[in-house]
Parts: sequence; C-alpha cells; structure tokens
Amino acid sequence: MIQAYLGVDVGSVSTNLVIISELGQLLASKYMRTNGRPIQTVQEGIQALGQEAASQIEIIGCGTTGSARYLTSMIIGADVVKNEITAHAIAASHEIEDVRTIIEIGGQDSKIIILQDGIVTDFAMNTVCAAGTGSFLDQQASRLCIPIEEFGGYAAKATNPVRIAGRCAVFAESDMIHKQQLGYNLEDIVAGLCEALVRNYMNNVGKGKEIMAPVVFQGGVAANQGLVRAFKKYLGFEVVVPPYHDVMGAIGAAYLAREAVKRKGRTGFKGFNLENINFRTTSFECRGCSNACEVVQFFENNNLIARWGDRCGKWELQVG
Amino acid sequence: MYTVGIPRSLAYFFFLPLWKTFITELGHEVIESPPTSRAILDRGVKEAVNDACIPIKLYHGHAAHLAENCDFLFCPRLVSVRKHGDFGSETFCPKFLGLPDMVRLALKDLPPLIDTRIDLKQPGGGSQEAAGEIGLRLGNSPAQVKRALRLGMAAQGYFHRLCQQGILADDALQAVFNGEKIYPPQSHGQDITIAVVGYPYAIYDPYINAGLLKILQQQGVRIVTQDMLSDRELNRQDSKLPKTLFWYFSNRAVYGGLHFMSDRQVDGIIHVTAFACGPDSMVDRLLEIEAKRHATPYLPIAVDEHTGEAGVRTRVEAFLDMLRYKRRRR
Repeated sequence: MIQAYLGVDVGSVSTNLVIISELGQLLASKYMRTNGRPIQTVQEGIQALGQEAASQIEIIGCGTTGSARYLTSMIIGADVVKNEITAHAIAASHEIEDVRTIIEIGGQDSKIIILQDGIVTDFAMNTVCAAGTGSFLDQQASRLCIPIEEFGGYAAKATNPVRIAGRCAVFAESDMIHKQQLGYNLEDIVAGLCEALVRNYMNNVGKGKEIMAPVVFQGGVAANQGLVRAFKKYLGFEVVVPPYHDVMGAIGAAYLAREAVKRKGRTGFKGFNLENINFRTTSFECRGCSNACEVVQFFENNNLIARWGDRCGKWELQVG
Repeated sequence: MYTVGIPRSLAYFFFLPLWKTFITELGHEVIESPPTSRAILDRGVKEAVNDACIPIKLYHGHAAHLAENCDFLFCPRLVSVRKHGDFGSETFCPKFLGLPDMVRLALKDLPPLIDTRIDLKQPGGGSQEAAGEIGLRLGNSPAQVKRALRLGMAAQGYFHRLCQQGILADDALQAVFNGEKIYPPQSHGQDITIAVVGYPYAIYDPYINAGLLKILQQQGVRIVTQDMLSDRELNRQDSKLPKTLFWYFSNRAVYGGLHFMSDRQVDGIIHVTAFACGPDSMVDRLLEIEAKRHATPYLPIAVDEHTGEAGVRTRVEAFLDMLRYKRRRR
C-alpha cells in the first residue's frame, strides 16, 4: 500500500480530483464536468478513483478547494478546506521552481497570483465580468460550431488576427459577428478573439500587476494553444503550461492536506465507498426578517450534518 | 413633538451621535430605519436613478422605508464640515450635495425633508446657523437649539473618543446611545492586524459588504479603521500627497490608508470600495500605488448589489493565508 493524499477541486464548470504521493508525485487524476451537480459529481469521482486505486493506495489525508469547497469537505471528510488562490499558488510553487506569476483561467473566474520566494505577495480575481473566462470561449466556440478542443488549432492557422473589442463579452460577440460579416476568415477571427481575451485579462485582473517570468498558465483554459500563444505574444516571453495544468487546484489541495495531517495526526477521510451514503440538500427561505435568506440544509443518510446560507447565524450548524 | 426619520445609510454611520442627540434633546422622537436588508436594497435599486452608486441607491431604500412613519425625514445637504484641502476646496462627494433633490424626485409620498445646507467652510455658515435653521423647522426656540447643539456635539465627541480607543464604530454607537458597556478591543488569539479603510457606509454596513468585519473577526484578525485615528493623525498624512482630494470621506480613507501603511503593527490593508463610486476610482488607485510603494499588502474589495459572501470570503481567506505564510517565513 502506498500512502497518499487526495485533493478535490470543485469549481463551477469542472470537478478535479487527484491523488499524490508523499513526495508529490501524481498517482491518479480525474477531470470531470460539474454539470451543476457538485455532490453527485464528487461521489462519482471518488468512486471512480477508488476503483482505479483503492487496492494499492491508502489515503492518509485529503483536502478540498474551489467554490464548492465547504460542501465537498463534508462529503469526503476533508482535513483541510482552502480557497482556490492559496491552493493554486501552493501547487505551482511545488511544480515550477521560483515561479513569479500564475495566470489561472477557469470556467467562470480568472485570477492572477504574484509570488516571491515561493510566497504569495499579491493576487487579484475577476469581479462580476466573465469576458476573460472559459465560459465565454465555450459559448463563442459553440456559436462558430468549432469544438472547443479545436479552438487552438484554428487560432494557430491565423496569418493576421483581427482586432476584436474584448472589454465585454457581449460587445466582443457583436464585434466578432461584424468581422465575420465583412468576410474575415474564421482562423483570423478565432486568433483575434484569443488576443482580445488576453488583453481583457491584462487590463482587468492583471491591472497594475508587474508580471515577471517565470509565468505559469494553469486552469482548464490553458489547454487552449491559441490563448497560450496570445499570452506569449502579449508578454513577450515564454509562458509555461504545466503538464497537469487542468488539475492544479486539486494538486494544491492535496499538498495542503499533507501539511494539515502532519498537524492533526490523522485523517477524516470517509473512504472511497461513498455510493451507499445518501447525501442530499434541501433549502428553505427563512422568514425571520426581511433578508429572506435561503438556508441550505445538508443531510448524510437523513442525518442533518450542516446548515448554512443565513446572514445572521441563527441557523448555522455544523456537526462533527 | 415630531417624529424625525434618519435613514441608516451614508453619513448616518459617522454623524448619528450629533444628529440623534440634537433632535432628541429638542424634544422630538428619532426613528431610524432598520439595518439594511434585501428588501431595503431592492427597494433602493428600484427607486433611485439607474446611474447612482450603490450607497446612494441604498439610501433611497432606507428613506423609502421611513417615509410613512415620520413627520420629517432628516436628509441634510452635506456640503462641507471643515475648511480643508487646496484653497479650502474640500466638500462631500457631489452625490451628497444633491442628495435631498435626488430623494425628493425619486420617492413619492415623502414627508417634508429637513434638507438644511451644512456648509461649515463658508464664512458665517457655522453649525450654530445650521442648527438654528433645523430648530426653526421643528418649532424650537433658539435657547433650546443652543442647548441641544451643545449636547449633540458632546455626544459626537464622546463617539470619536470611543473610536480612538480602538472600538469599532458600530459598537461605539451602541455605547453612546444604549450605554452598553464596551470591552476594550480584544487582543486574545488575534495574530494579524488588518486596517480596513473606506467609507463608513461601506465598512459598517454588514449587509452591503457581505459581513466583511465579522468574517475577519472569525478568522482571528484585529481590525483597525481610519475612524480610530484622530483628525490630527489623519491630516498629517496630507503632506505626503502632491495634492489633496476634493472629498471629505475620500480624504479620510486615503489618509487612513497612508497612516496604516507606515504603521508597523498593521499587516495589511483592505480597501472597501463601493460599486460605481466616482471618487473611489481615484481613491483605490491612489491607495494601490502607495501600498506598492510602502510594500504593504493591499486588497481592494468592491461591493455591489450582487456581492455574495462567497466572493468576499475567498478573497479574505487568500489574503490572510498570504499574510500568515509571509509571517511564518520571517
């Protein structure tokens, strides 16, 4: 049996699970679509990992990150729950020596993290605007009937990327339609879109940040070669895409679990067999005041184990 | 005796001790709108002009909530409270200057507004005169006004003294009016000190900033704000800037930020900025540049009507991780 750590990153678009060894070697990984069902997806992912690895691997620590990190921690019995920024920074600084800048673009958010000597010194996340994120690319790819996987290939063939206004997803779309109606070819438009997205990222999330090499580009969107090229062109130097760029958040959570368990002594991991446990949530609107908070209740086999969502703390509950 | 409504927004969080004491001592009843709730915010967003910043919209919601239950709505036209800045040009932000007009035009069925112009930088525009005008509206004698103003000023002074002892403004307000005993700020179990700067109505309204102060306290943070500094400490920072900003609350936020950047006790600065606030587009950039120059960790948090707790919590947690890792390294 190899002792190992599990990291789970449940974001808006994808759910990623990894298992790493004591030395940080990646033993197994899963990249799944969350499809709006985080609980089910995590259960399925854990189950699938178990079938692959349970016979050789013993999980001695587990951590969660991503926007559903609290929910997920209750499903798997996590030893540590960490925000995405810290998780990504930890993973990148383990994988790439002396990393100074992390560009992370996910489904619905994008971030920039600045590090010095392995420590985060500054970061920013996009606010309400989604113009620089994966969902926007997804949407445009499907409008142009190009599978998102081939997006990069199209961009690579461009000879003269057209200039597209990338300030806002809605305006970028109308600008693209305008260019396509004028007869520009698809390759140039796709490449132009990649450049617009990079410009938007730099002016929005990257505003005022000094970007120094080595730059690591991670998150699901880093699979897109068109964007990698556009970042290189904009920055004027190399951009590193780590081999497991799409599961870096989960890798970070696994590293954090390794630390947490050293402090805690033992793991709270519930095991790979989650199929027999019934997790469900219900919600109700609190009538206590005019805030009308939507309170979520989380059940494990009909036992209420947590409740959250209220602003005043009246319903807040966590068992165990 | 009249009932006078004071909306719980904007300058409420800073001038309530004076306003409420003054009006109460004149023999009237003050009613305040309840803490911001979703219903109040929705109402404000619906009633206010679309281009207004989120705090102004919120004010409309509070004013609308009070409208039916009071004889007068207290909505002074705050122009200036001191002669400050280059050529003494400091005023409140333009939206404060036009607040009574905006509210009157946007909301129907309002009681009469007490929209007295407060412009203390003008010669002859002293607080005595402004108080006299309010007293006249409420049917009080000059002697009553004089006494109430003195007591009001004393309450305001007491409030500032409490804040300067390191007590958060909302706790200090409780102490001023309810005589609640206040405990000195805890230092037990708090390993990080963070300065939260910004407008009082962005910092002290837990609904609009998604409970930022509570999140910080839960995470073991000692909080300091610009309101814990004396005017002298704040104004001293002015010499560090090539030019003074034009707006009262903006100047306080910037001075507070600058002060805390050179304070070794402070680990990082959070600037709470209100969505669509014009002056903040300058204040935030200025603080960001200065923070970089001072090598002070800096986190801007923009609040708007969609601000969810999740977004604030993620940023705050990451910011605290960053500070704690940094400290551990040292």
